[in-house]
Amino acid sequence: MSKKVAIVSVAQSAGPASKDNFYDQAYRVTRECLDKVGMTRDDLGTVVSASSDIFHGGISCANAYYWETTGAFLKNASRQDGESLFAFMYGAMRIMTGQYDNCLLLALCKGSENPENDTCTLMFGDPFYHRNLGLTETTSAAFQMQAYMEKYGVTKEQCAKVAVKNLGNALRNPYAHRRGKYTVADILNSAPAAAPLTDLQIAPKSEGFVAMLLASEKKAKKLTDKPVWFKGYGSSLDTYFLGDRDLLKTQLRTAAAQAYKMAGIKDPKKEIDVAEVTEPYAFQELLWCEELGFCKPGGAGKMIDKGTTEISGALPVNPSGGVLANNPYVSRGLQRLAEGFLQIRGEAGEHQVDKKVKTALAHGTHGFAGQCHAVAIIGV
Amino acid sequence: MSKEYKTLMTEIRLPYELAYGPVWTRFFEGMAEKKIFGTKCTKCGRILVPARSFCPRCFIDTDEWVEVAQTGTLTAWSYVNYRYYGMPTEPPFISALLRLDGTDVDFLHLIGGFDVSDFEKTRKMVKNGMRLKAVWSDDRKAHIMDLKYFKPA
Amino acid sequence: MGRPVGIIGVGQTKHGRRMDVAYPELVREAVLRVFEDSGLEPSDIDGVVSGTMPSMMEGVALTHFYFADAMQAVGKPILKTETCGSTGVSIAHTAYYWVASGMADVVLAVGHEKMNEGDAQATMTTVAEPFYQRYFIAGAPGVFSMQSQMWADRYGIPEAKIRDAAAHISVEHHNAAFENPYAHVKIRVTADDVKNSRVITYPVRLLDVCPTSDGACAMIFVSQNKAKKLGRKTAWVKGVGYRGEEYFFGDSDKGLWQGAVLAAKQAYDQAGIKNPRKDLDVAEVYNPFTFQEMLFYECFGFCEPGGAPDMVLKGTFDKKGQLPCDPSGGVLCTNPIGATGLIRVAEAVLQVTGKAGEHQIPKAKTAFSHAMGGVDQFNGVMIVGSEL
Ligand SMILES: [Zn+2]
Repeated sequence: MSKKVAIVSVAQSAGPASKDNFYDQAYRVTRECLDKVGMTRDDLGTVVSASSDIFHGGISCANAYYWETTGAFLKNASRQDGESLFAFMYGAMRIMTGQYDNCLLLALCKGSENPENDTCTLMFGDPFYHRNLGLTETTSAAFQMQAYMEKYGVTKEQCAKVAVKNLGNALRNPYAHRRGKYTVADILNSAPAAAPLTDLQIAPKSEGFVAMLLASEKKAKKLTDKPVWFKGYGSSLDTYFLGDRDLLKTQLRTAAAQAYKMAGIKDPKKEIDVAEVTEPYAFQELLWCEELGFCKPGGAGKMIDKGTTEISGALPVNPSGGVLANNPYVSRGLQRLAEGFLQIRGEAGEHQVDKKVKTALAHGTHGFAGQCHAVAIIGV
Repeated sequence: MSKEYKTLMTEIRLPYELAYGPVWTRFFEGMAEKKIFGTKCTKCGRILVPARSFCPRCFIDTDEWVEVAQTGTLTAWSYVNYRYYGMPTEPPFISALLRLDGTDVDFLHLIGGFDVSDFEKTRKMVKNGMRLKAVWSDDRKAHIMDLKYFKPA
Repeated sequence: MGRPVGIIGVGQTKHGRRMDVAYPELVREAVLRVFEDSGLEPSDIDGVVSGTMPSMMEGVALTHFYFADAMQAVGKPILKTETCGSTGVSIAHTAYYWVASGMADVVLAVGHEKMNEGDAQATMTTVAEPFYQRYFIAGAPGVFSMQSQMWADRYGIPEAKIRDAAAHISVEHHNAAFENPYAHVKIRVTADDVKNSRVITYPVRLLDVCPTSDGACAMIFVSQNKAKKLGRKTAWVKGVGYRGEEYFFGDSDKGLWQGAVLAAKQAYDQAGIKNPRKDLDVAEVYNPFTFQEMLFYECFGFCEPGGAPDMVLKGTFDKKGQLPCDPSGGVLCTNPIGATGLIRVAEAVLQVTGKAGEHQIPKAKTAFSHAMGGVDQFNGVMIVGSEL
C-alpha cells in the first residue's frame, strides 16, 4: 500500500425511526464525529458519502439533499451508491494519493421513510423478466438457503441459531432496532415469510447514519492516540442472471481473497479476532463465514453449534447483533466497519468481546443472493 | 435508428412519509399563522430562511429564531411555460428567487397576482430588484403552498 | 497528485433515441468499443467504476447489478459513483483516484443513461427539496433558467445582445454535431430559429435546450507503467477539481458560481494553468442550456465576468476561435445524463490524442472537461494533456 490510512473517529445514530428529518440527522452524526477529535469544518479535507437512490425517501440524487449536512460546502466530495464500504475504499484512495490528509465518510439511510425493503429490491430486477416473477432479495435468499441446507445438511435449527445469537447480542447494543432473548423455536415459529425463511430470520427496515473520519498517518497521530489502520480491502461483483450463478460459490471468496492478500492474512480464522458481517438473512451468516474461510464449506452449522461465533467465542461474529438487529440498507457495510473500529479500540461498551482484538473484518453485501460483496480489514 | 423493437409500458408508484423534524415543523406551523420564520447563525450572523437547524457554512447549530419580513426584492426569475410532474399550478407561471428584507439568503417561491398569460407583456413587467409582498392562502395547512405567491408591492 | 494516470481508450455509443436496444445492450456497445479502441481484454481490468442518474430515471435500481455482464465486471472490484448531473466527471475522478492511489493499474469507467425510457423532468424534480422547493424548481430547465436570468441581468448588458450570443452558441453547436458521428441531435438552425423558438423557461427557448438522449460512454484509465508497456497513444490526467454547494437553491450566489470557479481553480493549480484561454487548446463545457455556457466561460476564467457575450459574438469560442468550446456539439446536442460528463472527458481525450476525426482541433495538447449537477450545486473538472 502506497500510504497508510487510519480511522480516527466514528459516530452513529441508528434504530427504528427517529423524529428528526434526514437533513438534521445527517448533520448531527457528522458534527459528533468531528467533535470527537476536535475537528472543525475548516480542517475537513474531502468527503465521500454513501447513500442510495433505490427509491429511498422519494428523493433522487440524495447527495444533493444532504450535501451541506456532511460539512461538504465548497469541498471536493463524492458519493457512492449501493454499498457504503465502497465509500470507505474511495475515501482511503483519496488520502493515499497524498492530495488530502483526511476524509470524512458518511453512510446515510433513513429506513423509516423508505418503502418496504423488498419493494425496493424488486426494482433491482430487470423490468422484463425477473421483476415480473417477483424476484427480490428475500425470495432469492430463500432459494439460496434451500440450496445451502440441501447441499451441506446444515439444519434449519442451525440457521435459526444465528438469529438467536444476533438478536441476543443486540440486547447489549443501544443502536439496535430489533433485539430480544429468543429460542430456536421462537425463531422457527415466527411468521412465515419466503420459506424456508421466517420473519425473525429476516432483517428489519431500519435507520442508520454512520460518520467515520479517515486520516493519513501523520494527521491520524495528531488527532488520536488510538488510530485504527486500514489493512485490506476487496470487492467483487457476480453475474446478473440468478440462473447463471452457483448460489453457494459466491464472489465473497474473490473479495475476501483480495482483502487477505492486501492485509497479509494467511489463516483468517486465526488472524481475524472479530468479524462483523452483513447477514440480512440468518443463514447467510453461516454461508458467509464459510466463504470468508472461517471454516470449510458446509462447516458453519457445526461452528455455531460449538459457540465459536458467540460474543465470548474464539471468533465472535456480529457481536453488535449484525444486520438482523439493524438494517439500514446502504449504511450497513460502514456500520459493520464502525463496529470493528469500536471493538479494536475497546469502546464497544456492553457488546465488547471478551478477547483482545487486534484485527477486525467488516463485510458488506447487496443484491440478489449476494450479487456484490465487499470486505474491509482493519487493525492496530 | 433503423428499426424499433418492442417496448414495455410500465409504471412505478411508491408512497413516502417524510419526517419534517422539529425545526421544519415549527417553520410550517408559522406558515399556517401567516408567519415566515428564519434562524440566525451566531457565528456568521446570517439569517437563513426557511429556518435551518444549522449553518451550512459555519457548521454550528442555529438556535435563534427570527420572524422575517414578508416583503422583499426579486433576485432571479423564470417564466415557466412547460408542464412537468408535480408542478404547483398550470403553466405559464413564474418561479422566482427573492431576498426577503433583512435576510441573507434567497427564498424560492412563485410570483403572481397578475395576468401572466402573455409572455412579452410579462417580461416587460417583471424586473430583478422589483419589490414583492407575500399573499397568503385562506386555506392554510402548514404547507409551503400556504403562501400563494408573492405579488408586486 | 499521487501516481501519474493515463487514459488509453474511449468508447461511445451512437447517442439518441435508442429504442432499438435494451439498456444492457446499450451499455455493452460502449464497453465493446473501449476494448476495441484500447486493444485491452476484459481480463486486463483491475476494477470497474460505473455510474448513472438515480433509479427513477429508468425505473431500475442499482444498475451495476443489471449491467454486471454488459460491463464485463463479473469477478471484478466495483465502485458505483453517482453525483447527479456531474456523475460522468465524478466517475472519471473515481477511476483517476483508483489508479493514482496505487490500488489498481487498469480501471474501466462506464457511464450510461437511457432517458427515453422514463420521465426525465419528473426525475429531475425529485432531486429538489421535498418540503419547500420541489414545486417551484420546474425540473432542470427551471432552476438553470433562473440561474441564467440572474447572470444575464448582472452586468448591465442589453438583453438583446445576450440573446444573440446564446443563439450564436446554439447555431455553432448544432453545426458542430454534424462533425461528431456519435452526436444525437443533428439539425441545422439559424439564429432566428433559436430566437423565435418557443419559450420553455424564460430566458431559455426550445433551441437553447439539450435533448433527452440514450447513450453510454466507457474509458480505460491506466498507471504510467501500464501505459509504457502498452505503448499506445495516451492522454494524461493533469488536473482534477470538484466543488459542491448547499441544497437550498437561494443560499449561494449562482450568477458568479463560486463552486464552478473553485472546481476549475483546483484543476488549474494541479495542471499549472495560469491563463486558461491561452493555456487550454479546447474545452468541453457541460452546457445543457446556452445561457449557462456563457456563465461557465466566466467562472472558468475563459473571459472576465460579464465578458462572455461579447467574446462569444466575436467567435472566440467557435471551432476556429482562440479557445474552441464543445466542438463535439456538446451537451446541447447530446445528453444521456449519467454518461454526459464522461463523454466530456472522452472528447477531451480524443482531442489531445488526435483522434477526434472531423471535429479535431489541430494540435490540441491540453483539454478541459467539465460537468455540473444537483440543484445548481455541483461542478467537476478534469484536465487532460498529450504529454505526461
Ligand atoms: Zn454561519
